[in-house]
Amino acid sequence: MAELALRELRKTYRSRGRPAVDAVRGIDLELRSGELLGLLGPSGCGKSTTLRMIAGLETVTGGDILVGGASVVGRPAQARNIGVAFENYALYPPLSVAENLAFGLKARRRGARGSRGEVARKVAEIAERVALTDLLQARPAGLSSGQKQRVALARALIREPDVLLLDEPLSHLDAAQRDTTRRELKRIQGDLGHTTILVTHDQEEALSLADRIAVMKDGVIQQLGTPYEIYDSPANVFVADFVGEPAINLLPGISTGDGHARLSRTVSFALPVKVAQDREIVIGIRPEDLELSGGDGVPARVSAHEPLLESGIATLALEGVVRPLVALTGPEVRLVRDERVRVGADPGLTHVFDAETGDSLR
Amino acid sequence: MTRKSRLSEREPGSKPWLGWLADTALILYFVFALFPVAWMLILSLKPADQLFSTYFSFTPTLDSYRTVLGDSEGIPFVRFFVNSLVVSLGAVALSLVVGLPAAYASARWRFKGSENLMFTLLSFRFAPELTVIIPLFVLYQKLGLFDTYVGMVWVLQLVTLPLIVWIMRSYFADLTPELEQAALLDGYTRKQAFFRVALPLVKPGIAAVSLLAFIFAWNNFVFPLILTSSRAQTVTVGALSFLGGDRPKYNLTAAAALVSVVPPLLLALTIQRYLVRGLSFGAVKS
Repeated sequence: MAELALRELRKTYRSRGRPAVDAVRGIDLELRSGELLGLLGPSGCGKSTTLRMIAGLETVTGGDILVGGASVVGRPAQARNIGVAFENYALYPPLSVAENLAFGLKARRRGARGSRGEVARKVAEIAERVALTDLLQARPAGLSSGQKQRVALARALIREPDVLLLDEPLSHLDAAQRDTTRRELKRIQGDLGHTTILVTHDQEEALSLADRIAVMKDGVIQQLGTPYEIYDSPANVFVADFVGEPAINLLPGISTGDGHARLSRTVSFALPVKVAQDREIVIGIRPEDLELSGGDGVPARVSAHEPLLESGIATLALEGVVRPLVALTGPEVRLVRDERVRVGADPGLTHVFDAETGDSLR
Repeated sequence: MTRKSRLSEREPGSKPWLGWLADTALILYFVFALFPVAWMLILSLKPADQLFSTYFSFTPTLDSYRTVLGDSEGIPFVRFFVNSLVVSLGAVALSLVVGLPAAYASARWRFKGSENLMFTLLSFRFAPELTVIIPLFVLYQKLGLFDTYVGMVWVLQLVTLPLIVWIMRSYFADLTPELEQAALLDGYTRKQAFFRVALPLVKPGIAAVSLLAFIFAWNNFVFPLILTSSRAQTVTVGALSFLGGDRPKYNLTAAAALVSVVPPLLLALTIQRYLVRGLSFGAVKS
């Protein structure tokens, strides 16, 4: 276990006859020893490239990668002691689970890394950890996706890597396996305390597993913080939109100068901060922060209601506002189409962004 | 499976005569395909004096085989046979040594000129051998490669190398690079990742393509015809020697031809289980 730091890390792909592509544009990250950081972003945002650079599978265009304080940029992958659990597991099909786990140790056996007996002992130990003992003689083809993922994780862990990298560990699992595997991952990482980077496009995965999350877009980290910080005070429109399910309502409006945002002639919402008059802004209200009430609030018409039993999703039309407003409703709320309601939001939970830059104004 | 059970398995409403038609067509094709072989077999078992009799009854004899394998008639057939083995196996072995790394490299990396190189290799296959044979003949005469094992193994690379490189390239391309990357992270070197991870996974492909290359090399006729005379001559050309002389000895040619089918046939039968592709599947969720 060691701390990991990325300094101004950059990656540019150049190929003849095509413009250069900046996949990663200067990333700074510091991970404490034992921390699990989620690298969250849409596909093509540079998160996998970052992971591959740390592992040594991709060359670095600029910047530095420090593991335990020492730069590893000049070293080949096999000399970095970094464990990777690949998205598609990358298990050797002709080998049994036990042989797959031992395979990684055998590479270093010549380096006095222990006898045959020690290899067997380590395989048994790690199998116990990730609950694979019963499957040690099975072949990868006979395993479920969740089991394959555990083998891939065990293979990454068995060499006691300084840093563990998980590439979309849950993306190929079905819903039921995803839940159990996620809990297993959290438990194992907590038990063994590896410094870990989790790369994912799935916010649920990042939120549930990570100590801190870095939200990435176009090769740049948009925001770094705990899951609560990311959720409670998104740094810009992109982060607000990317994190949260159902997605946040983003409505363009104009500041009135008296602490309100006017969305249309008749609809306005109170703002949490003072914004100069007539400034173009975007307000963000999470569906779960909207309240349907009989009394105050702005008038709205129900255009759809999806009852999901323990909650419901209401799509509302505000007078003179083009974009629909999505609100999360409680289990007791029953709505019908075209019903008139009033909807209000706590100004303290409302987010304000500059319409041009997208940056938060809070 | 008996005819009865097959019929009963058919879906109701389908026409049974379609099945009979298909069976008849298959039988006809079977006869068509095996007739030449059967005819050769009969020819090789006929005594020399009944060769040209048109009626079917004759006393089968192994004399032709004895003559062919006994090197009588002044034609060293056994030597031709050994030559074929040496030259074909040598050509396949050399192609594997050179071609596997080439196939791997071209599947994994795009480098300057890689596609041109691959196309050049392929062009060896679609250019008729006759277009290059005369310059080759002159070159071989001058270089002292005429009628030598080295010369034959070398020229057969035109046949075996493109086949091995192109087929193995697609096998390597089907392997996810992450398998090797995982090995690199485990501390293996690039070379070890190739030999210990990639190569074992394409074993079925190597078996299949080696067999194919061997058959092509074995069956090649033009190169040994022009580039050998006696010391390195192979069975394909050698078997024809029995047709020379004052009277063509069809029985001996037939026997020689049948004997020369044995090695590819044996090889195909022993290697059969490797021919099933798909051992590498399951590595990656597709």
